[in-house]
Amino acid sequence: MSRRRLSWVALAVVLAVALVVGMGSREEQTRTERARSFADTVKCPTCRSQSVADSDAPVATAIRADIDARFEEGQNEEQVRQYLLATYGDEVLLTPPRTGVGSLVWILPVAGLLIALGALAFTFRRWRLEPAGRSASAADRELVASAMGTSDPHGEGDGR
Amino acid sequence: MSTTEHEVERSARARRPGRAAWVAVPVAVVLVLLIVVLATREPATDRVAKSERLGKPAPAVSGPTLDGGTFDLGDRQGRWVVVNFFATWCQPCEKEHPELRAFAAEHAEIGDAEVVSVVFQDDPSKVEEFFEENGGDWPVVLDEKTQIGIDYGVSGIPESYLIDPNGIVRVKLIGGVTRAGLDAQLDAAKGGS
Repeated sequence: MSRRRLSWVALAVVLAVALVVGMGSREEQTRTERARSFADTVKCPTCRSQSVADSDAPVATAIRADIDARFEEGQNEEQVRQYLLATYGDEVLLTPPRTGVGSLVWILPVAGLLIALGALAFTFRRWRLEPAGRSASAADRELVASAMGTSDPHGEGDGR
Repeated sequence: MSTTEHEVERSARARRPGRAAWVAVPVAVVLVLLIVVLATREPATDRVAKSERLGKPAPAVSGPTLDGGTFDLGDRQGRWVVVNFFATWCQPCEKEHPELRAFAAEHAEIGDAEVVSVVFQDDPSKVEEFFEENGGDWPVVLDEKTQIGIDYGVSGIPESYLIDPNGIVRVKLIGGVTRAGLDAQLDAAKGGS
């Protein structure tokens, strides 16, 4: 095996080990971290644009504890989200829902990006099909002819 | 103009109120008035609020009570129940307490409605002291983990929910209640049921 191939294999082994170690530690932290990151997406009902994870308001503390308890019971994020939506409504979410009117928040930026990309592609294509020389006016040609010292404004002379 | 005249005029100009003063004084007056109005205004009571729970079966209210007994809202079917969330550290709760007492006494006689309080993040001993001082003989449910509060979607206390005889949540009231306000809501809900 060549030295170069050996170094690629070594790199692949290091990457695989790092991935396994990383995934292992994630498993250990999973519940607390998931509860914390989920609490970051839940709005404190009595605060202004603050999540229950960051607020010390009595109701925020209670909701945080409830989220922890539900994750500990084994509920997943969707189940906890549905419970909070049933009690507090859409306003409890700091991130808008991916369905209904709220989905526009997610769809519009992507649609805007696609439209912009399409417009760019269309413009570039038009530029390629319409070389700049084709749009030279008679005045332009006259100017070029006088600069070149010839009286043939249409460039139909000897082709120099 | 002599130097002395110049100095006299400059000092007179300095004493004259500038443009900043003409702006600052009205702003200060408006601010003071605003503070006075806000500080002396009566807190809004009997405010009807929207809730995801309206028109749906009331979440369970069950658990140990302050007097050592137990309470279960499910046992109260056939009567109107005002589920009131409160704490002793909440000033509007203290203010609404006599109103709740009056409502509870009035309807205990009629026998159509009753009050149940749910403690929202408070020390039971303080709640006991509060009831000894302020009266009130309705059940007080201890909600140690605030589970009942969260199930109802309580955002801030005081909050009260009117539950109909079929166990359906009919009205949510925030910012404290009055006897008259509760009576009005009860009458309206009875009329609509």
